[in-house]
Amino acid sequence: MEQTQHIAINKRQRKQTAVYAVVGGLLIAAILLITTIWVSSSARIGTSLAVNKVSEFYLEELAGRRAQVVSEELNSNFAYIENALGILDDADLQSQETLRLFLGEVKRIYGVEKFALVDENGIVYTEQSTSSGLSMYSFLSEELTEPVVSTTNLYGAKKQVILAVPVEHIAFLGAQIRVCFIQINIDEMLSSLTLQTGDNETYCSLFHRNGESLTNNDFGYLKAKSNIFSTLSEAVIDEGFSFEAMHSDFSNGKSGQISFNYRGSKEDLCYVPVEGTNWMLTILIRDNVITEQISSISSGMMRRSIIQIIITMAVTLFVFLALIHQSKKNARILLEQEKADANRIRAAFAQIEKEQAAMDNIHAAMGSGLWSMEFNERAQIISCSWSEAFRKMVGYGSEEEFPNRIESWSSLLDEKDRERILKEYWDTVKDYSGAKTFDVEYRLHTRHAGCRWFHAAGRLSRREDGSPITFVGLFVDIDDEKKLEERLEKQKMDLEDALAAAQHANRAKTTFLNNMSHDIRTPMNAIIGFTSLAATHIDNTEQVQDYLSKITTSSNHLLSLINDVLDMSRIESGKVKIDEKETSLPEVMHDLKTIVQADITSKQLDFYIDTADVVNENVLCDKLRLNQVLLNLLSNAMKFTKPGGIVSVRILQKGSATDGWASYEFQVKDTGIGMSKEFLEHVFEPFEREQTSTISGIQGTGLGMAITKNIVDMMGGKISVVSEEGKGTTFTVSLRFRTCSGAVRMEVIPELKGLRALVADDDFNTCSSVTQMLSIIGMRPDWTTSGKEAVLRTKLAEEQNDAYAAYIIDWLMPDMNGIEVVRRIRGLIGEGKPIIILTAYDWSDIEEEARRAGVTGFCSKPIFLSELREILESPYKVQDTEASDKDSGVTFEGRKILLVEDNELNQEIAVEILQEAGFIMDVADDGVVAVEKLKTVQPGQYDLVLMDIQMPIMDGYEATRQIRALDNAVAAHLPIIAMTANAFDEDKKAALEAGMNGHIAKPINTVKLMELLREILK
Amino acid sequence: MLGMMLKTSAGRKKSYGKDLVFRVLMIIFLLAGLGMAGCDRVSHQALPATDDQPMWSVKNNKRNERVPSVVDFDHELDFYQPAKTEYNFYFTYKTVHPWWDAVALGMEDAAKQYEQRGIIINYEYLAPNGASATDQIRRLKDAAGREFDVVGVDVADVDVVTPVINELIANGQKVMTFSSSDAAREDGCNRIAYVGNTHNYEDGAKLTEALCKKLDYSGKVAVLVGTMGAPCHEDRAFGAQDVIAKYPDMEIVEIAYDEDSVEKSYDLATGFLNEYDDLSGIICCNMSNPVGAARAVKEAGRQEEIVIVGMDHDQEALGYLRDGVIYALGVQDCYSIGFDTLQVAIKIADGHLPGELYPEKTEEITTIIYQDSAGTLLQTLYGEID
Repeated sequence: MEQTQHIAINKRQRKQTAVYAVVGGLLIAAILLITTIWVSSSARIGTSLAVNKVSEFYLEELAGRRAQVVSEELNSNFAYIENALGILDDADLQSQETLRLFLGEVKRIYGVEKFALVDENGIVYTEQSTSSGLSMYSFLSEELTEPVVSTTNLYGAKKQVILAVPVEHIAFLGAQIRVCFIQINIDEMLSSLTLQTGDNETYCSLFHRNGESLTNNDFGYLKAKSNIFSTLSEAVIDEGFSFEAMHSDFSNGKSGQISFNYRGSKEDLCYVPVEGTNWMLTILIRDNVITEQISSISSGMMRRSIIQIIITMAVTLFVFLALIHQSKKNARILLEQEKADANRIRAAFAQIEKEQAAMDNIHAAMGSGLWSMEFNERAQIISCSWSEAFRKMVGYGSEEEFPNRIESWSSLLDEKDRERILKEYWDTVKDYSGAKTFDVEYRLHTRHAGCRWFHAAGRLSRREDGSPITFVGLFVDIDDEKKLEERLEKQKMDLEDALAAAQHANRAKTTFLNNMSHDIRTPMNAIIGFTSLAATHIDNTEQVQDYLSKITTSSNHLLSLINDVLDMSRIESGKVKIDEKETSLPEVMHDLKTIVQADITSKQLDFYIDTADVVNENVLCDKLRLNQVLLNLLSNAMKFTKPGGIVSVRILQKGSATDGWASYEFQVKDTGIGMSKEFLEHVFEPFEREQTSTISGIQGTGLGMAITKNIVDMMGGKISVVSEEGKGTTFTVSLRFRTCSGAVRMEVIPELKGLRALVADDDFNTCSSVTQMLSIIGMRPDWTTSGKEAVLRTKLAEEQNDAYAAYIIDWLMPDMNGIEVVRRIRGLIGEGKPIIILTAYDWSDIEEEARRAGVTGFCSKPIFLSELREILESPYKVQDTEASDKDSGVTFEGRKILLVEDNELNQEIAVEILQEAGFIMDVADDGVVAVEKLKTVQPGQYDLVLMDIQMPIMDGYEATRQIRALDNAVAAHLPIIAMTANAFDEDKKAALEAGMNGHIAKPINTVKLMELLREILK
Repeated sequence: MLGMMLKTSAGRKKSYGKDLVFRVLMIIFLLAGLGMAGCDRVSHQALPATDDQPMWSVKNNKRNERVPSVVDFDHELDFYQPAKTEYNFYFTYKTVHPWWDAVALGMEDAAKQYEQRGIIINYEYLAPNGASATDQIRRLKDAAGREFDVVGVDVADVDVVTPVINELIANGQKVMTFSSSDAAREDGCNRIAYVGNTHNYEDGAKLTEALCKKLDYSGKVAVLVGTMGAPCHEDRAFGAQDVIAKYPDMEIVEIAYDEDSVEKSYDLATGFLNEYDDLSGIICCNMSNPVGAARAVKEAGRQEEIVIVGMDHDQEALGYLRDGVIYALGVQDCYSIGFDTLQVAIKIADGHLPGELYPEKTEEITTIIYQDSAGTLLQTLYGEID
C-alpha cells in the first residue's frame, strides 16, 4: 500500500515537474521574442534618427570642404598662368611653331586641357590650333581688365572651365597679346570629389547661380546638363524646406540645404558658394538608400532573432531529454569499466615498478640516464621523470636543482640544436601512426663541464587511437667521441683547404708571372723599340717627339706595375703599418675629387660625389692609406667605364657606432663593364685579373684590389662588391674611426631659423643631403631637380610673400644651367640674398660670368655640414679665399736650387728639367759636400735643396740632420726636399722626421715636382 | 540677281535629282547605323514635320521625356590609319559666328582623338568679322604659300571663290570645302571633297512647307537670305521660292540679304513690317535672319499674325521659338561637320581621292524643331531655363 502511494506520489511529482518545465520554457521563449522585437524596433528608429542627423552635418562639412578645394584649384590655376607668362621669352614668340611648342609644354606641365594666348584681333593661339575666338569665348567681347572665371560657349559639348587673365607688353606677329587663358576639364576637376560606388552614395556637382549645370555627368537622378531649378521644380519638397528659398540662396550665393522627393527617391541636397566665382558646389545624398538599408538590416535582424529563438528552444529541449537518457545509460557502463580499469592499472603499475628496478641497474652499469614522460589523451605531458644518473651527467644532484619538468632539460639545449631537437621530440610524440622514432644527438650546457654532446633515444607506448601514453628513453654522453670526430673532420677540411689554396695560389702565381711577363714586356718592348727608332730618326724632331711621348706613356705604365708589385710585397711581408692621425674627411673627399678631375674630364665621364648624414668630420685614421683605398677604387671605376658613363662616390655616416667612434661607408659606383660572377669570388685575391680585362685591352697587375682589401683589413674595416656584367660595379668600404673633435655643430643658426631655402640640383642624392643639412641648421628647405622649376618656385614664393632666404644651385643641370637659373632668380628677387653655386668641377673659368649673374659664392661638392654652415654664416668668405688663391702664382725664374745627387745621369736629368723651368742650379755630389757648402751659405744664395737619400759617404737623412743643426740660420731654415728612389711611405716619414720639408719619388714626375716646388716656394 | 537665282535654282534641282539615290542610301545607312538612335535623329528625307509630329524623338517612353538629338557628340574616329604623324591644315569660313564655333568644337575633339593615337594635327581656323568673298580669296592665296597639307574653305561666294580654288588645285594645293557652303563640281569647281550640309535646298523647302501649312496655304511672305552668293543661303532661298510657287494663294513680296548680320536682318525685317501691313510670314535662310526677324516682329507686337521659320541654333532664336515668336527652326549638326571635316582632310592629305574611304560629299543632318522642343534644347545647349 505504502509502495503504491509512493509510486503515485512519484508520478505526480514527475507530472508536476514536466508541467513546470513546459510552462517555464514557453515563458522564456515569449520573453525572448518580445524583447527581441522591442530592441530591434528601437534600434531601427534610433539608428535612422542618428543617421539623418549625421548625414546633415556630414553634408554641410563635405560641401564646404569641397568648395574650398575647387576654389583653391582655381587659384592654383591662376598662379600657373602667371608663372607661365613669366617664363615666356622672345625665343618662344619668334614664330607660330615656337609659340605652339611653348604652349604645348606649359599645357602638359600644368595638366590643363588648353593653354592659349589671344591677340588684339581675337585670334586664339593654342598648342595645335590658331582660330578666331571672338564669338566662342564670351569674355573676349569686352576688354579684360581683371582675371575672370568663365565657361566656353557650351553648345552642349563637354563643359570646360576657362580661367583668363589680361596680358600686357607681349607682342606676337605684329599684334599685341591681350589675354591668356587656360581651359580645364571640369569633370576631371570634380572627379576626386565624388564618392560614388554602384548605384548610390554621394554625388558632387557644380552649377551656375542661375542653375545651369557646369558638369557633363548625371547628378544622382538629375540628368547631365539639366538645370537644377528645372529639375527641382518637378520635385516634392520636404516640409521645412522651400524651392524659393533655395532659388534665392543660389541667386545670392548663400549656403543651404534642401530635402526633396524626386521620382520616388528621397534626397538631401547641400549647396555652398565657391569663392571667387558665381558657382555653387552641390552635394547630393540619397536618403532612401540609407533608410532602406536600415530597414532591411533591422527586419533581417528581427527575423533572424525569432528563428534563432525557436531553434534554440527546440534544440535545448531535445538535448536536455537526450542527455537525461544517455546519462542514465552511461552511469551503468562507467561503473563496470572503472572496476575493470582499476584492476588493469594495478597490474600494470606492479609490472612497471619491476621493470624500472631492472632498468636502473642496467643504466648504472652503462653510465647512461633514463627519462620517462606520461601523456594524456590530447598528447599533453602530465608527468616527467629524470633519472638520478641523468641529473648527475648534467651536473645536478637533486630534484630541487633539476625538477621533473621538460623545461629543465630543454632550457639546457644549445641554441644551435634547440629548435631541431624540440621539433623532433614533438613530431615523435604526435606521430599517432607510431612510425617515427626518437633518436637524436645534441649539445647540452652542463652545470660544470660546459657544453657536451649527448645521444638520446626513446620509444613511445600508445593508446588504441595512437595517442601517446608514456615516452621512455635514454641519454648517453657522447661528447668525447663527438669531439674526436669533429677534430678529424676539421683536420681533413683544413688539409683540403690548404691543398686547394696552394693549388690556387700556384695557379694564380703562374698566371701572374705569365701576365707580368706579358705586361712588363709590352711597355718594355715599346720603350726599347721607340728608343731605337728615336736614335735612328734623331734629326727628325717631330718624329722623335712622338717616339718620346710613347716612351713616356710606356714608362709610366711600367712604373705603376712595379709600384703595385712592390706595394703588395710589402703588405704581405707586414712592413706596412697603419699610422692614425687626425684627418679631415672633407679634405680627403675634396683631395680625391681634385686628383681624379682631369681623368674624369678627359674620359668624358659624368661624376657625382656627395655625402649623407656625416656629423663627425674629423677622425683619427691613416689618411694616406684611406686615400690609397679610395683612389684605387676610383681609378678602377674610371678605367672600366666607357665615355659617357657615370662614376659616383658617396660617404655615408652610419649611426651604429659606440661613443667616441664613428662608422662610415664609402661607396664607389660606376656604370662600367662590370664583372662576371665567377671573377667576383676572387676579385680581392692577389694576381687575379678578369679574363675580359686582357681581352678588352685594359691592363693591370691584378694586385690593385688585393692591396685595397689588405689595407681595409688592416684598418679593421670591410670591403664588399656588387657587380653585374655590362651594368656596372659598386664597391662599399665600411670603416670605423675614432672621432677626434666631436660632432660638427648641430645647433640652429639663429639668423636663419625658420627661413626658407631652395636647393636645385639634378642629382637627387645631393638634393637630399643638402636639404637635410639645411633642416639641421634650422631652415625650411625645398628642393627640385629642375632649373626651370627653381625659377618658377622662386616666383611663386615671392608672390606668396614667403620668399627663400638662401639658394643652393647646381652649376650644371640638364634643362637650364645654374648661371642662367641664378640670373633669372636674381631678376626676381634682386640683390641681397645669398645664392651659392654648388659644383663638382673647377669653377675658375666661369667665375666672372657667374658673379655678374648674381652668384654670391661657390661651394665644392661634396658639401659637408660644416662647410654649408660656414658659407651661410659668412657668404663672402669664399671671395677672400679665392683672392688669396689668385696670389699663389709663383715664378721659378732666377730661383736657386742646390741639387745633392751622387749619380751623374740623375744629376743631368734633374739639372735639365729644373733649368728648363727657370731655376739656377748648383750641384753637390754627396751629403758631405752639401753640408760643407751650406755651412757658409749667404741669404739668397739658395732658395731650396733637393736631397738624394742613398749616397756613398753621407746619406740624405744624415746630411739633413746636420744642416738643420748648423749654426748658420739661413741653412738651418732652408727648405729641403728628398728626391729619391726610396718611395715607400716609411721613406717619406723618415725624410720628414730627419727635418726635410717634402718628398718626391724617382723617377721624377715633372708635373708633381713642379707642384711641390711651387707649394714650398710660395 | 533674283532672275539669276531662279535660273540657277532649276539647274540645281536637276543636280539634286542625280544625287537622290545616293542620298536615300545615306539616310537608310544612317538610320540603320544609329539603331535605337534611328528614332532620335531624323534627317531631311524623313516625313515633313508638322505641328502634331515634330522632328523629335522620345528616348524613354515610360518617362515620356523628350530628349533632343539634333547634335551627335559621341563621335569616334573611323578605322583609317593616317600615313603621317603630323598634319598641317588651314580652314577658312564665312564669318566669326557661334555657328562655326560649334563646327570648331567638333574639329577640336577630332584633333584630340588623333593626338591620343600619336598623330598631331596643327590647324588654323580663321574667318573675318564680317562675311566677305574678297577677304576669303586673300586668305586662300596666303594659305597657298604656306605649305599646308590641305586647305579647307566654307565658300562665301561660289562665283568669286571657285576660280581661286581651281587655281590652288592647279598649283598642286589640295583643297576641300566644308561646313555650310560647297562649290560643287557641277559648278565648275575642282575641289576634292565637301563635308557639311548637302541638303540646303530641301531644308529651305521643308521649312517653307511648314510655314505654308501653318498659314493654311494663303498669304504674303518675305524671304531673308544671308550672304549673297553663299551657296547654302541661296539654295535654301531657292527651296523656299519653289514651294511658295506651288501654292497660288501664296506670294513672295520681297527677298533681301542681311550679310550674316543680326542688326541688318532686324533692319530689313522692320522694313518688311512697315512696308507690308498684310504680311503673314518671314522665311529665314541663315542663323542671323531669324534672330533679327523675331526681334522686329516682337517689338512691333505682331507675333500673333506673322509666322517666322528659320535656320540654326542661335540661343536668342531658340528663346523666340520657346516663346512662340518663331514657329520652326532647322538645326544642323555642326559638331559632326567639324569632326568629319578633319577626318576627310587627313585622307585627302594622304593622297586619297573620294571613293571607298570617303564620299565626295559627306552629308550631315538637319532637324526641324518646334516650340515644344525649344526649352529642352536651350537647356541642353546653353543651360538656360524659363
